[in-house]
Amino acid sequence: MTQFLIRRILVSIVVIWAVATLVFFMLRIVPGDPIGAMLSDVDPAAAEALRAKLGLDQPAYVQYFRWMLNTLRGDLGNSIYGNNQPVNQIIAEALPRTLSLSFLAMIIALVISFTAGIVSAMKKGTWLDHIVTFIAILGLSMPNFWLGIMLIIIFAVNLHWLPAIGYSPLSDGFWPWFSHLILPAIAVGAPFAAIIARMIRSAMLEVSREDYIRTARSKGLSARSVIFTHTLRNALIPVITVMGIAFALLMTGAVVVENVFAIKGLGRVMIQSILNRDYPVVQGAILIVSLVFVATNLLVDILYTVVDPRIRY
Amino acid sequence: MSEKPDKRIEELARREYEEAHNFDSSDPLFGLRKEELRGPRMTRRAVMRLLAAAGALAFTDVLAACAPSAAPAEEGEAAPAEAPAAAAGGELVCGWAGTNEIVTLDPAQINQVLQFQIASNVLSGLTHINADMTAEGDLATDWSVSDDGLEWTFTLRQGVTFHNGDPFTADDVLYTFERSSNPELSIHSGVLANVAGVEKIDDYTVKFVLNKPQASFLVKTLERSSGRAMTIVNKRAIEEEGPERYGLFPIGTGPFKVTENLVGQSLVIEKFEDYYDPERPKLDKITFIPIPEPEPLAAAIEAGDVQLIGGNPPAAELIDRFLANPDLVVSEIPGPGFQSMWFNPHREPMKVEDFNKPLEELKQESGFLVRLAIAKAVDREDYINRAAFGRGFPAFGSINPAMAYFFDTEINETSEQTYDPEAAQQLLADAGFPGGEGFPTLKLLITPAGKREGEIIADILKKNLGITIELDIKDFPVLVEMYDAIDFDLLRIGSGGDYDPDDGLVDYFLTTAKFNGPKRDPSLPFGIFSEAEVDALIEEQRSETDLEKRRELVRKANKLISDKVACLFLNHPVDTVIWRKEVNYPDASRIAGLVDLDRATISA
Repeated sequence: MTQFLIRRILVSIVVIWAVATLVFFMLRIVPGDPIGAMLSDVDPAAAEALRAKLGLDQPAYVQYFRWMLNTLRGDLGNSIYGNNQPVNQIIAEALPRTLSLSFLAMIIALVISFTAGIVSAMKKGTWLDHIVTFIAILGLSMPNFWLGIMLIIIFAVNLHWLPAIGYSPLSDGFWPWFSHLILPAIAVGAPFAAIIARMIRSAMLEVSREDYIRTARSKGLSARSVIFTHTLRNALIPVITVMGIAFALLMTGAVVVENVFAIKGLGRVMIQSILNRDYPVVQGAILIVSLVFVATNLLVDILYTVVDPRIRY
Repeated sequence: MSEKPDKRIEELARREYEEAHNFDSSDPLFGLRKEELRGPRMTRRAVMRLLAAAGALAFTDVLAACAPSAAPAEEGEAAPAEAPAAAAGGELVCGWAGTNEIVTLDPAQINQVLQFQIASNVLSGLTHINADMTAEGDLATDWSVSDDGLEWTFTLRQGVTFHNGDPFTADDVLYTFERSSNPELSIHSGVLANVAGVEKIDDYTVKFVLNKPQASFLVKTLERSSGRAMTIVNKRAIEEEGPERYGLFPIGTGPFKVTENLVGQSLVIEKFEDYYDPERPKLDKITFIPIPEPEPLAAAIEAGDVQLIGGNPPAAELIDRFLANPDLVVSEIPGPGFQSMWFNPHREPMKVEDFNKPLEELKQESGFLVRLAIAKAVDREDYINRAAFGRGFPAFGSINPAMAYFFDTEINETSEQTYDPEAAQQLLADAGFPGGEGFPTLKLLITPAGKREGEIIADILKKNLGITIELDIKDFPVLVEMYDAIDFDLLRIGSGGDYDPDDGLVDYFLTTAKFNGPKRDPSLPFGIFSEAEVDALIEEQRSETDLEKRRELVRKANKLISDKVACLFLNHPVDTVIWRKEVNYPDASRIAGLVDLDRATISA
């Protein structure tokens, strides 16, 4: 296991480095210039001075090594825009928002999907199963920004239960944090709830045809025990895989919902900086996102061994 | 007041407006007596005269100042009564429309209206104009001018402190001047080009020496918000904490101080207890939240999560909905600018090799006929109704109605671009494409935000001319590169903040204009548009000091670029601020383009 972990971590580092390098050079191939994007109004001499100040006049490989060295020292550089905020700070501000949103969305997705998935697997073919299936398809096919707007109109504008937009950090108290995040979390979590519910249903149905389930039943175990300790547990492997991917996707995939709810999360940081050709911010944000992707994958692999002790590395 | 201003008020405003422009332009004091130019307050007449002499007086400014109230009237029961001024205190949350973040509040770096709208609540200048068009001393309590109009002496307010406790003195004026006139430290150094120097007479007296008399000096250069060059900054804060932090937490002497700034999420300003005027500000705390999406913005103000919308004008499709909502007050005035579609003159089928030929000769060329046909085929009213939900004014030139004195009221009828679908079809047939047959598909370069407008243009042209336009949607930085290199068939762009005829003419239509294909293939003889007579007229109007003559030159240039289809003019925009009825936003604070909140109150 230790050996596996060490190997995996080494591979992860190579993957992250490769992603960072690829992004660095691809960004410079993409048409559009950060200085031009800043102001259509800058006079050419000032633009040249700015370019020199930011080191953008250097050859790409020089810029690359400089960036790599600084990154290894933990300094992701400064934004090209406005007040040249440190990238570290931009990410440190946005990451908690994104993580809060992703965790809450994940919890919502899991609660809904496990309930729905298990119910529809147990009641396969009944009206209950059909209703759950219908709702799942609905959840999947509703664009999340639309769902978000609908939630705002219902819960904020009409019922006045929850705030329509904005974010409040957890340090300001649980309720302000929760009340601002619950609607966007439902909006991003719903499609994943639908996917995972369908996944649980089919995995459970497949497992329930296995010999060991028949054995469990025939030795007189309660239906509850058969479902939860035998069927569900064995059905979890593919579900965990999907959960891992889902969580990683939530990190950046929530950008549309972030815009709807006026929350500046990592997704928005990334999109905004790509549109502005704000190289240091794009590089920093993608580095963090790839770190989360890799870490999540690793966690998923470890979770496999917990769920299914037969799996060893 | 948004719909139709009272005829009487309009007449009054027109008289005031004409009066403001009526003076001998060679007079260094702009036809004003010395006493009229003195502080601590300048009359409306003096301010208008100065703005007029600077070419910066818009008719709508005068109109707004003449209007009895900013509250919408006439709509009967639907119009909400404005909240009476509430007691001091309370919190206001503002939604800042159409932006992802308020990038900076450092006056030296501010380049968007939505930024100085906020900065004007935090920082002070020497003077500030109110909605009534009277200039008040802000940090100056009094001032006087020499006979030649070159020396301006200011008495500074005593006992003023910065948010960090530093006292405000003449040294701060000198420091601000030094910083702002250095092009490496400030993007507004050009504003101070005419200032030869600033002298400190004593701690509370400073003297500005100008190279030439300058009407805009008092009302623009020293104005705290839009001028930005002489918005007073704090030396210690900049030197100790650096300009980066100053952009987030600017230390000023204004009514509010910035207490929290999470860029892109929220910006909080709180009442500055030591503000020099004990009557202001009224509110304890104001939070600004950038809300980029229109629907959530509307939901937020309808639900009462935000009580005021500032920043960029909110999406046009929301305005009717807001007007119908009895909880909201909508304040609209014409905005200075234009939207337009441009043609690549170096590509078939709209190729024009020489714009200098007389109009009749150009009309023999198929490339010019195509341009004219397209320009005549777009029904501006229809376009505005569909693309801007009726909020806007048809455009046939770059001079907008907000500059009424220079605006040509006839141009809607006299321009070659005037809508006439039959004539347009005939022109297209003359160019060799009867009914649009054989006409190639053209690509319209546009930003993602302009997609809707682009689709409507394409639809109108399909319907009226039978030609096909495809959208070529590009992110702004890419679009700018393609624009600069003239790498497009058609291009939709607009201009904003055009208060002076120069803004609309010089930047776009001079052969040497900065937007006229600066990065084009060097083998191309000119950029996007080049016409010798237009060049001459623009240059001439710039140095013409007689306003009536200048107006003639401006109108002539404007008509010529319209007739020769330098581009297709679409519409002039509308400027909007919205608040909930529990907010009292006094008329004295409804300054065009600004959102000054020092007098605003909110009832619980």
